[in-house]
Amino acid sequence: MFEGLIQLGQELSKFLTPRFLFDVLWSTQLGIIVGMLPGLTATMGVALMTTLTYKFASSHAVLILICMYIGAIYGGSRTAILINIPGTPANAATTVDGNPLAKQGKAGQAMGIATTGSFLGSIFGMVMLAIFTPIIGNAALSFYSFEYFWLAIFGIVICGSLTAPKDPLKGWISGFLGLFIATIGMEAMHAYRRFSFGNVNLAGGIQLLPAMIGVFGFSEILMVMKQPAVRIVSNKIERVIPSLKDILKYWKTIIRSGFIGTIIGAIPGVGEDIAAWVSYDFAKKASKEKEKFGHGSIEGLIAAETGNNAAIPGAIIPVLALAVPGSAPAAVLLGAMLIHGIRPGPLLMIENPTFIYQVVAMLFLATCAMFILGLSFIRVFVKILIIPREKLMPVVFALCVIGSYALSAKMFDILVMTVFGLIGYAMKEMDYPVAPLVLGIILGDLLDSNLRRSLILTDGNILPFFTRPISLVFFLFISITILSQMKWFKNLLKTLQLSIKKVFLKRKMI
Amino acid sequence: MKPKDMNKADFFTSIFLFLLGLIVFIISIRMPTFRELGANPYSAPGIVPGILGVTLLFMSAILFIRSVIRKGYKIRLSSQGLKLFFKNNSIKRFLIALFLSVFYVILLGKINYFLLTTIYIFLFVWSFELKTKKTLFFALLEAVLIAVCISYVFRYLFLVTLP
Repeated sequence: MFEGLIQLGQELSKFLTPRFLFDVLWSTQLGIIVGMLPGLTATMGVALMTTLTYKFASSHAVLILICMYIGAIYGGSRTAILINIPGTPANAATTVDGNPLAKQGKAGQAMGIATTGSFLGSIFGMVMLAIFTPIIGNAALSFYSFEYFWLAIFGIVICGSLTAPKDPLKGWISGFLGLFIATIGMEAMHAYRRFSFGNVNLAGGIQLLPAMIGVFGFSEILMVMKQPAVRIVSNKIERVIPSLKDILKYWKTIIRSGFIGTIIGAIPGVGEDIAAWVSYDFAKKASKEKEKFGHGSIEGLIAAETGNNAAIPGAIIPVLALAVPGSAPAAVLLGAMLIHGIRPGPLLMIENPTFIYQVVAMLFLATCAMFILGLSFIRVFVKILIIPREKLMPVVFALCVIGSYALSAKMFDILVMTVFGLIGYAMKEMDYPVAPLVLGIILGDLLDSNLRRSLILTDGNILPFFTRPISLVFFLFISITILSQMKWFKNLLKTLQLSIKKVFLKRKMI
Repeated sequence: MKPKDMNKADFFTSIFLFLLGLIVFIISIRMPTFRELGANPYSAPGIVPGILGVTLLFMSAILFIRSVIRKGYKIRLSSQGLKLFFKNNSIKRFLIALFLSVFYVILLGKINYFLLTTIYIFLFVWSFELKTKKTLFFALLEAVLIAVCISYVFRYLFLVTLP
């Protein structure tokens, strides 16, 4: 344990130079601004920043991206509190109690509470990341092709179910579409060009970053422009620094939300928005002041903000341990790491053992910067919300174009961005979640290579997919997740429950 | 989207996805297996897309049946309905943003980047603002300033080649 702390101290000291600290401050502040502006999401911010920092050294680029990620997820809380519109989807739960507090003239207090909640959530998640990443990574060393195949399917199924709770079928369709898109281009075993139809660009495959910028950037621009303009409600911002009493009063909620946020964040593709809602829901159920929820509850606000920020380190856990992203921005982060020659996954602890401590140090610096910046210059930066969308959105689109082009200087990538933007828009309009699509594009290669490898090893026998212990666990999880969404299965469970109760009652009577 | 419209949308998307799944499956089974080169038949490139195609077929069939049960196939198109659709302000805003952005992408590489970005930003800002001489001037000024900033910052600070 002490060895780990010493390692962390060493990595942290490497970042304590004026250049790094300056980069931490500006990138976190930029992240806060990106998060604040409705229509600009953390994913878009991290994706654009990835393309702009790809000429930087790996640790330098990843540091900037983590700062952007943390800043953006936190930044959205300001819009949620002040104008009742979540700056990023992760802040949707913040609007429920944050905006009523602002309407009561407590906007400053709400922002202070949100900042502290986000800070504590990130710190909690960071500690969990430091503890659990090596453990999960070691466990994943016993994974073979069979398990990796199930891991990819598990990611798609669970992400599809959680991101489309009303209609999981659409979530799964989205995920499997993503898996199919990943098969486009030259495959690794025979260098055969699949679905390229003689097109050289398609033979190179669909690159993740342009696709993501399209799905999360261009589609969002179209969505924002379609909606009527938002009037900014002017709010007087008074004292921002929260009282220690408010924070200490809800210490149980903070720990619970931090824990829930990290766990939800670590589930492949699920992300910060669901982490915030689940944390909020649990806080409401456990609260002694349930009646205040929805009317300006400080506890509700703390729960939502602690949950969504704890999900950030949570989402990075599977990135480092399994090379599977926990959320959409984490997916971009994974892509950025690969671009910079870092190979996340079970072998990371063997090949690059100090990298996990580097990431923990980066998270710590980003969280501290977010806390400091979050409690200062609020009045100045809130003015950014006055920028009308018709002035902001063309600039964002110009950035999306450059972001897609910058990586490999190919016009085809701009086309991919545009097409995926249109696909993303259509999907959002028809209630198909886009996160499973992106996760599918990422996991496609993992699924493809491991399924074929497994079949070669067993000479086409599919039994080992169900008889190996870890594979069986994955299979059961996937089956239960799918079955639990079906009405007949739910009814069957209810009938079983009732009959068991009846049997127990009869026994008691006897 | 209203539930009624959603059922109609589901009806159409299920047909599209079914066709996609079918095409993917057919192309996959036609892919070479490289057996003649001594390769293991289970390493064939068509295996995974084939399975994915079948999965898409299966899921789209469920979506289709569900939309039919919910009467999503009852599509009534009328000229008045279409007129109302295009008169809707949200649709107008969406179409303006879409066409301007798509034309920007189409013209990239054919016209000087700085000039094209200036025109794009100017047209975008101007289309959504009140058209007075003052707003026209400010839209142009903003467009030039932003295009200069983007071009220089990306070219010289981030060392990115511009399209």
